[in-house]
Amino acid sequence: MELDYQNMIGSIPLFAQAAWTTLWIAVSGVLLASAIGAGCALSLYLEWPFLTRPIKAYIEVSRNTPLLVQLFLLHFGLKVEALPCAVMALAFLGGGYMAEAFRAGLEAVERSQVESALSLGLSRYETVRYVVLPQALISAVPAIGANVIFLFKETSVVSVVAVTDIVAVAKDLISLYYETAEALIMLVIAYLVLLTPICLAVWWLERRVKHAVFGR
Amino acid sequence: MRNLFKFVAIVAAVFGFAGASTFVNAADAQDSIAAIKARGHLKIAVFSDKPPFGFVDKDGKNQGYDVYFARRFAKELLGDESKIEFTLTEPANRVDLLESGRVDIVLANFTVTPERSKRVDFAKPYFKTAIGVVSNDQTPINKVEDLQGKKLIVIRGTTADVYFSKIKGIDLVKYDQISDAFQALRDGRGVGLAQDTTLVLAWANENKGFSVGVGDIGDVEPIAPAVRKGNTELRDWINDTLAKLGKENFAHKAFDATLKPYYGNIKPEDIIVEGGVF
Repeated sequence: MELDYQNMIGSIPLFAQAAWTTLWIAVSGVLLASAIGAGCALSLYLEWPFLTRPIKAYIEVSRNTPLLVQLFLLHFGLKVEALPCAVMALAFLGGGYMAEAFRAGLEAVERSQVESALSLGLSRYETVRYVVLPQALISAVPAIGANVIFLFKETSVVSVVAVTDIVAVAKDLISLYYETAEALIMLVIAYLVLLTPICLAVWWLERRVKHAVFGR
Repeated sequence: MRNLFKFVAIVAAVFGFAGASTFVNAADAQDSIAAIKARGHLKIAVFSDKPPFGFVDKDGKNQGYDVYFARRFAKELLGDESKIEFTLTEPANRVDLLESGRVDIVLANFTVTPERSKRVDFAKPYFKTAIGVVSNDQTPINKVEDLQGKKLIVIRGTTADVYFSKIKGIDLVKYDQISDAFQALRDGRGVGLAQDTTLVLAWANENKGFSVGVGDIGDVEPIAPAVRKGNTELRDWINDTLAKLGKENFAHKAFDATLKPYYGNIKPEDIIVEGGVF
């Protein structure tokens, strides 16, 4: 197979431009998902009445429906514009996964830690803020890191609602020039360029928290 | 440093993978006439959601102008019009379906273009069209200039996509699925939708409140069956068959059976091509 390298190099600006869209969707989606997840996990942990059931239902719905279906529902069902739709769907999906990651972290903090803190005279708020959360976040880092990378890769389906991400660029190039291999190889490279630094950052963070470097 | 090596190794693996696919391509010839006859059925790619050319009716049967030709091809080649395996396709997949050997013929409103002719072999045409824009009657589009600075919906990989990609100042909203694109037009995600004139006319006919303000964009282009590049045997067979069918006015019969209900009083010769003579 002969690759058309000239066309591949020529497509770099198109991919670079669309990479900003992919990055924007991924970053805002992940940030929103983290906020939603942290809020859900915390209110489950504190056993806030009335909220427990709806939150559990939300987590099940978000984790057990594909992103593609959520996108279709938002875009064609609820008539949300393409770009906000992509961010919202990613935040909705990610919220459920992030909630589970934070919840696992919170549950990993031993009961005796809480009991000790309370018996030392810390208030309920102080116990959560200074004893539970720091330890919970550290145990949750690997799961959160995995979720960040997972959610970033999930953005690859947003082109179905006419968002011009890097997948859309690859599809455009295939449909205009029929150079399928070239466009897909460029797409793989584009994802590697975007994701490798994130992957390395997560790996670095995991090592830092494993040896409890922070807070020393 | 080790990570850098890993990265290089992954990239190398991807290129190796691409190289390996050469062997897959070389192994075909599954689409020679002898192979099709031995297999006992034709494999033809058609549309699923593009009435009146290729669509699946409410009983789940493939119907339309393209399908009408497909069934006749099966009858001519294998003696039975039911000996077909239909593969449903989207516009952007048509070339790949042939190159990967998954179908013998693409009969999916496939307009002949120079880019496509590099990748597949087109037989003689059986249909023709220009590009048209269908729009909501509230915001009519009566000429291409009306689209400047506005959003225009297209279906990825169509001649309309290629045509408008070359015009500056029009914001293209691209969908993969034809049905999604028309839904987007109904939802007002663009001022118009550009596609083959023949298709948008039929759609506007079925959908109140929408009409085709401009229908003669670009040249009138031939639409033809396509086979894998290099499969001249099957292409020549299709050409001979089209010429033969022309003697019995087959395209006119296909028009009456499939297109007439959608177009009403249009002259058949405006859109069909009889006997492969464009």
